[in-house]
Amino acid sequence: MHIITWLARRVGAAAILLWLVATVIFIAIRFIPGDPAEAIMGGPGSQASAEALEAAREQYHLNEPILVQYGLYLGKLATGDLGTSYAQHRPVAQVMAEMLPATLQLTLIALVIAWLIAFVMAAIAARSSRIGQAMGTIIEVIAAAIPHFWLGAMLIIIFSTWLGWLPAVDTGTVQGIILPAVTLAIPLSGFLAQLMRDSLLTAMNSPFALAARARGASEGQVFFRHGFRHAALPALNLTGWAVAASISGAVVVEEVFARPGLGRSLLGAVLSRDMPMVTGIALFSALIYMVVMLVVETIEAFINPAAARGDDQ
Amino acid sequence: MAKFSSSQLKILATAAIGGLALAGCGDSGSTQDEAAGDPQSGGTLIYASGDAEPDCLDPHYGGNYPQGLISTQYLETLFTKNEDGETVPWLAESSEVSEDGLTHTITLTDGITFHDGTPLTSEAIKANIEHLQDPDTASSTGFLAVQKVEEVELVDDLTAELHLSAPDNALEESLSMHWTAIQSPDALARDVQENCEAPIGTGPFQVDSWDREQQINLVRNEDYVLPVEDPERENDLAYLDGITWRLIPEAATRYAALQSGEVHIIDNAQPDTIQSADNANIGHLDSPRPGASNRIELNSSQAPFDDQLVREAFIRAVDVDGGIQALFFDTAPRSHSLLSSVESLGYSDDALFYRDVDEANDLLDEAGWTDRDDDDVRMKDGERLEIVMPVSTNQSVPAEQSLFEQFQAQASEVGFDMQINLLDLSSWYAALAEHNYNLVSAPYTKVGPSVLRILYHSSSIEPAPSGYFANNAQVDIPELDEILIQAEETPDGAERADLYEQAQQMVLEDFYVLPLYDQQNHFLYTADVQGMGEASAIAAPEYYNVWLTQ
Repeated sequence: MHIITWLARRVGAAAILLWLVATVIFIAIRFIPGDPAEAIMGGPGSQASAEALEAAREQYHLNEPILVQYGLYLGKLATGDLGTSYAQHRPVAQVMAEMLPATLQLTLIALVIAWLIAFVMAAIAARSSRIGQAMGTIIEVIAAAIPHFWLGAMLIIIFSTWLGWLPAVDTGTVQGIILPAVTLAIPLSGFLAQLMRDSLLTAMNSPFALAARARGASEGQVFFRHGFRHAALPALNLTGWAVAASISGAVVVEEVFARPGLGRSLLGAVLSRDMPMVTGIALFSALIYMVVMLVVETIEAFINPAAARGDDQ
Repeated sequence: MAKFSSSQLKILATAAIGGLALAGCGDSGSTQDEAAGDPQSGGTLIYASGDAEPDCLDPHYGGNYPQGLISTQYLETLFTKNEDGETVPWLAESSEVSEDGLTHTITLTDGITFHDGTPLTSEAIKANIEHLQDPDTASSTGFLAVQKVEEVELVDDLTAELHLSAPDNALEESLSMHWTAIQSPDALARDVQENCEAPIGTGPFQVDSWDREQQINLVRNEDYVLPVEDPERENDLAYLDGITWRLIPEAATRYAALQSGEVHIIDNAQPDTIQSADNANIGHLDSPRPGASNRIELNSSQAPFDDQLVREAFIRAVDVDGGIQALFFDTAPRSHSLLSSVESLGYSDDALFYRDVDEANDLLDEAGWTDRDDDDVRMKDGERLEIVMPVSTNQSVPAEQSLFEQFQAQASEVGFDMQINLLDLSSWYAALAEHNYNLVSAPYTKVGPSVLRILYHSSSIEPAPSGYFANNAQVDIPELDEILIQAEETPDGAERADLYEQAQQMVLEDFYVLPLYDQQNHFLYTADVQGMGEASAIAAPEYYNVWLTQ
């Protein structure tokens, strides 16, 4: 199949998926208890008058039949209009544009750190004894399973309260981002390292590694030229998932380290029933996930066209 | 009638800025050395708030406590409370109530200007009351506070007459709350969002900028005029250059930031950190909120708590004192009152509240709950003795949630099946609106005993259009209703006190309520912070006289 056709199909599939996600979100928020009009008029426990609530319902089309509301909702989304935040009275797109850079910065730095840790862990494990490898596996499993909340709190106690090296609160300084990024990176690195170590071991014991050694290549050359390149591919494949995982992890990490960002906006919006905001951020997260997956698959398709055709190996 | 002379008022008000005496701050004395020297100007105070980020910095909008805490720094009220708990003029210079109680004449202090440079005139009183009453403002707390004001009539530049629909001896208390703070009429005329982002008042600080989800930046008002005389001040300006109001939602992070000196003050301090701060050179300010105490209300509108015997049995079954001691250490003294310990008309009766399991069992037997099912839960006419308690995780701190879990275990010993539902705030309000509760702990902050009418008058069972209602115990006693209305309308202070005492007795003695402790409002601060202790009428700390040693 031609690569352009393949790409067009993928983009089409992503669009359909986005529509499904938008529909699921639309249905889901109708099951959340609480009156949206109340959320608009001063939040939970509001004692707004009947007229004020009615005016809010009118303004936000909450009185229309559900299908009309769905149509209006999709129509607005199609034109890129995410609506106005109930709580902040500002356009959702504006709030998201303000918060996005902070979250992107956090997740990108966390991804880089996760890759570095995973690479070092995999390299050490691949070159150590059977016991060393077993230890490596245990460390990876533990790292992958640590909840962000607990990890963040521990890092704050150690590096901020005891040692005093790093600030507990991220106020936008270079030192400030270290603890949140590491908190986000460690569980991720556990997953990546597991995957990398397996492929690394396979590669280092493969016939082409043996051949390289036979040609007189040093162990280091074999490792970087053959082993690492081979091991990186499956981990790259996981990057789409890793981006999604770090965005969901950002909800907790941003809260713990008092960092502004989309994750914290989402949590606040859910608690205050700020439906347009919840919808906007949830849709955007889905979009990012799909874009990253598409990019990763495209890169893979170029590297290995057979994989794109589905007749891999 | 209730006429003060201007000079008397000034003296009273000066006492007010001398600081409300705050309970429990005695143990913080170690960090407040007299040796710290004279106040120095300069430096930015870094405050860390654990509250949810306000939607709007104008406390007229909605009207919750976090808005009160921050707006205390940049807005001022017509009245305030002095250290004896008396309501005294602040932006107002004097006030007078007509013979029939229907007209309050308020005269403003001359020479005050708003942050936008416009002078404070009687027009501002009118504009602010109208702003609170405008449905578009979406005011809840302030709206209720000025409900009885029908019209504001301007007499001259500094004097306005407030015409009421019925006498309201709580009006000045209501106007001492920051939810009714006075803002520039020009600023109020802007659209909602603009006003929310930077309200314009007369306070010692003003809003400079707002970095969402991070901090709100306040700077000193360089033209501040203190509405009252304070002989200890050389000039009227605040000592601090500004306040950085950080938003740090996690309690552990907040405390870590305080310990490492990243922030100067934290709010929402939890019992365990207050305890450990005791030996860490960290100061502690306990500023219990006015209005209602923290209490469990027993829903008397439906079974089983429609039976007073069952209500009393529950109160006998649970160990409040032991639980508070174990979970709150010494940070929350037990209350036996419907009202906060800062309310001078609060009535307390500790003889009513004690634990006696045998008595609880006898009461339930007497009420007819004599059968038992397989789980040892009591039954009557085929119904199980089930009670549901929705708990708001926003309002009930972890220690309080644990306390309720202890009650759950103790109640089961006498045959209750008590269910606790942990809910976020919106779901919790929804559960109340659907009457899906038998027990509930709902805080209510308001200055003065008139909060009793809001909480226990039968008209408060009637839900607002949103489903909200304040009388969660669903007390419905015509005689009580009459007393509460009379107490609010009487011009006679002694009669008012007597009526409120009767009202509180009626509610307490019929076991509609189990008082726990004051609404907790704890602050911890580093040794650099000097001059802590003053608070507004709603017990929000003021930083006008606070200074930093470094």
